[in-house]
Amino acid sequence: MSRRQGATEEVLVRGLFEEHGAALLAYATRLAGDRSLGEDVVRETLIRAARDPAALTGGRGAARAYLFTIVRGLTADKEQAGARVDSMTMLSAVESLPSEQREVLHALYFQGRGVAETAASLGVPAGTVKSRSYHALRRLREAVG
Amino acid sequence: MSEHGTELLGAYVLGVLDGDEWASVQEHLDGCAHCRREVDDLRELEAALGEIPPEAFLDGPPAGGDLLLRRTLHQVRDERRRRDRWRGVLWAVAAAVVAAVALGGGALIGRATGPATPQAQATTSTAPVAGTRTGAATDARTGATMSVAVRPAVGWVRVRAIVSGVAAGEQCRLVVVAQDGSRWPAGSWLVSDQDAAEGTTVDGSALIAPADVASVQAETYAGLVLVSTSI
Repeated sequence: MSRRQGATEEVLVRGLFEEHGAALLAYATRLAGDRSLGEDVVRETLIRAARDPAALTGGRGAARAYLFTIVRGLTADKEQAGARVDSMTMLSAVESLPSEQREVLHALYFQGRGVAETAASLGVPAGTVKSRSYHALRRLREAVG
Repeated sequence: MSEHGTELLGAYVLGVLDGDEWASVQEHLDGCAHCRREVDDLRELEAALGEIPPEAFLDGPPAGGDLLLRRTLHQVRDERRRRDRWRGVLWAVAAAVVAAVALGGGALIGRATGPATPQAQATTSTAPVAGTRTGAATDARTGATMSVAVRPAVGWVRVRAIVSGVAAGEQCRLVVVAQDGSRWPAGSWLVSDQDAAEGTTVDGSALIAPADVASVQAETYAGLVLVSTSI
């Protein structure tokens, strides 16, 4: 049983690395200030996560927010203290938006594209982009209370 | 802007409306407290969005991350080996009980103190945490067998038990019993078909000082003691 459990941990670590590795390493490297320290943080993060897989069951966004929280804890990043809504709560909320809303928000906000450009790239009318952005924000507000 | 036109407020807050639409929303806001509140809410949210680390939107494995993955997996395997050693002690005790039952028959309490049982040495390369106490027993009446290791922490204990000989579907719990008779729950489980055949490994903990531990019991939720092991 223990061997099986061990194999499960390896599969889990591989899966997490495939899906979140780039994001975790970039984030950890920025906070730690150096790639090699960042790698140490990512390694420890994945190992901790694999030990407590129950925390990873809330879907992709929740998993990423959980992993980022571990990275942040390990690098003792205090920059977020005092923010009204924790950034990890926000991240989890954004990732759990319906994909059509997340795409719109991502393009408009995180990539800084305009309405017309976003509408063209997603193949939907400009009015749809606007209404989706509103519904995305509304849903986020409900999610983070 | 007709009625409240709230669907434009998202794009307004995100600053992506063109001049005409922006002006019409602005005009509406000037006369509508309801929509102004809505905009205030959404602005607060937009500020919180800005706190999300930009790295959170990267996907896939990192470039040049092969070595990092290999090292991580190596560490996972290392930690598993350490756990297996700890577990090996239990299997050794369990094997000792089975052998004793085969020889002597009937109800029998096997008891081992410390890591220095010959059987434990035979199957483990490293001693468990100092002060670990182990015990094992088979209950002739219920047919259940348990081997258990109690590992001391400061003011509490970690418990690992392997319980076998219990029917599938049984809801069970592990209880640490103190010298004074008080009972401390350490975990609960449901016996699967596979567990019924192979035994269940239960990892638990209990808020009882290591020196106060008298025995460990596996029992059903109906209150039947399946097997009790003195420590």
